[in-house]
Amino acid sequence: MGGGEGMAQANNPEPGRDGWTGWTPDPPPDLRDEPPERLLEYYRQMQVIRHFEERAAQAYTQGRIGGFLHLANGEEALAVGGLAALEPEDDLITHYRDHGVALARGSDPGRVMAELFGRADGVSGGRGGSMHLADAGRRFWGGHAIVGIHLPIAAGLALAHQYRKEPRVVLCIFGDGATNTGAFHEALNLAATWELPVIFLCQNNLYGMGTAIERAMRVTELHRRGAAYGIPSARINGMRLLEVRAAVASAARWAREGKGPVFLEALTYRYRGHSMADPELYRTKEELKAWRAWDPIQLFAQELLEAGVVTPEALRRADQEAEQVVEAAIAFAEQSPEPDPATLHHGVYRAPLAAALPAGGGNGVGAHLP
Amino acid sequence: MATGDRVDLLERYQHGRHRELGLTDEDVRRMYEVMLLARRLDERMWILNRTGQAPFAISGQGHEAAQVGAAWALDRERDWIYPYYRDVALVLVWGLTPRDLMLQLLGKAADPSSGGRQMPNHFSSRRLRIAPQSSVVGTQIPQAAGTALASKLEGTGAVTLVTFGEGATAQGDFHEGVNFAAIHRLPVIFFCENNGYAISVPAEKELSVPDVADRALGYGIPGVTVDGNDPFEVYRVVREAVERARAGEGPSLIEAKTYRLLAHSSDDDDSTYRPREEVEAWRQRDPLPRLAAYLKEHGLADDADLQALEEQVRQQVDDATEHAQAAPYPRAEHLLDHVTGP
Repeated sequence: MGGGEGMAQANNPEPGRDGWTGWTPDPPPDLRDEPPERLLEYYRQMQVIRHFEERAAQAYTQGRIGGFLHLANGEEALAVGGLAALEPEDDLITHYRDHGVALARGSDPGRVMAELFGRADGVSGGRGGSMHLADAGRRFWGGHAIVGIHLPIAAGLALAHQYRKEPRVVLCIFGDGATNTGAFHEALNLAATWELPVIFLCQNNLYGMGTAIERAMRVTELHRRGAAYGIPSARINGMRLLEVRAAVASAARWAREGKGPVFLEALTYRYRGHSMADPELYRTKEELKAWRAWDPIQLFAQELLEAGVVTPEALRRADQEAEQVVEAAIAFAEQSPEPDPATLHHGVYRAPLAAALPAGGGNGVGAHLP
Repeated sequence: MATGDRVDLLERYQHGRHRELGLTDEDVRRMYEVMLLARRLDERMWILNRTGQAPFAISGQGHEAAQVGAAWALDRERDWIYPYYRDVALVLVWGLTPRDLMLQLLGKAADPSSGGRQMPNHFSSRRLRIAPQSSVVGTQIPQAAGTALASKLEGTGAVTLVTFGEGATAQGDFHEGVNFAAIHRLPVIFFCENNGYAISVPAEKELSVPDVADRALGYGIPGVTVDGNDPFEVYRVVREAVERARAGEGPSLIEAKTYRLLAHSSDDDDSTYRPREEVEAWRQRDPLPRLAAYLKEHGLADDADLQALEEQVRQQVDDATEHAQAAPYPRAEHLLDHVTGP
């Protein structure tokens, strides 16, 4: 530009213009090209998540689950479709609306439910609860309760892969509200500058708690924010499982080839309130009804039946299996013991810290460590 | 686009552009005078540091045109500024005096910004609507959005100018401040003095886009890149931003590309990260001789006038230095003043 002749760019440029993106996600595959048993498994996983959360909500209102509970009803296709696109050696990190993500990653439903119940067999030893699920063995680095805080961590994980020259990618999931935090900005800037292998998957459910997106940001087509960092970006339908899988898979391929991060904005909706304590005064019943017509599970079932790749009977069997899995998870959680108070300090410090201190614990700091 | 490609700007200097922009001859002479005063003051600060009299010096040399051009576009009787530590020329336009700056440099009790408590170049004045600042990079950006919100709520018509380097634009504070101002269409101008380095980190290792102005895309606000060594171009784009802000159209992001001619601060050796050829190339584009040449070319000043001005500025700098050297330090019993509110 010759010395500032007006605007640098028009607002909200078209994706793909000016070399900003030059990237589009792969389209979803034809259903008939997929093995039917795999499609049925996706359906079953989504039903497990739906039942799991409904039973958790019940237990919460009965006072059997303490703390917070944030449900993701309506966002199941994102969890199952997104994770189906990852390799087992890839990393996963997400926000506090994390039950479906944990289950889709393969964490044991019983241990996840036990975590919600605050029991010793929970995936985080009963210390984290609903918002802090984690499963290091599956490279699932947690639900994070502070909005946006895990995005720089995701960039850090990706930096480790780049540094070690390992072909791993990081899938980082967050909501629309997180895109207004400073942490989002710092993470996307560094990831873009250093071309880190991370997929930023924004679940745009149109509300940051009770704040509609247009009241929290002027650029409401969130994928356009990627342009401000020179990151390939796209908007996808988060209610369609195979569209999500294809988009995340193509983003992962891009990142794995060392071309840097990708920013995906998945349009979705949560059918329940922000948390169990939300009266939902900020949205209308008509709006909720309209989005229920896009229910990712019903939509997927309908597509499977219309394509003739599964039978109604197979779907019913999957429904029953899902219910059984969740009932078993509840039973497991209920029989799991409370954490032993003697283990209260476990996991606070790494054990070698105690060894590094003077004999007898010095001034008392660390004397209690195992 | 790289700054080096903007050579045609030099040619535009040949055509008396200040009158097209509505600037009087006196405006241009005064702009030069402030730039020169800022430069000579800054040079003296370094001498005082190197001779052991000032604990620290941080430089604005090279940024003078950007600062003066921006300041000229605002209303000094009404608008607010949130300067950062390189803005010697900006705060001189806004009404701080050479004595004020030297008193702060030497940590004297009469320092109007902080009573001798703050580091050098941490300007503030309640009277002049210069907001105080933290040394923490970028913190002034959301604060400036807050002041602009107050102006909007109170309907004063005041605009807030907040300045920062390109390094600050990688901070979360930048994102949150600009986003908030964009949503609420606040009368604030985000003015980035992009000198190509965040201390030692070159812009291509801290920015993922070619220009800071590109970041405006993510907020739905105008973003403008301008040659920061051309005071008239800076004046023009900032004035447009002021007009938008006063009309209720919200904030703008302006990026003035410039260069600092010295190290980051008196504690920095820039020869470890900047090739001498690069520094020398930018010295050729030093805004001061450029504007001096413009003055002569357009009959606004001759060599004798410029020489007289040098002498007048030297006297001001001498006076400020001697005044500050003779001034008392804060008294120990006043140590806890200003720590908590009254």
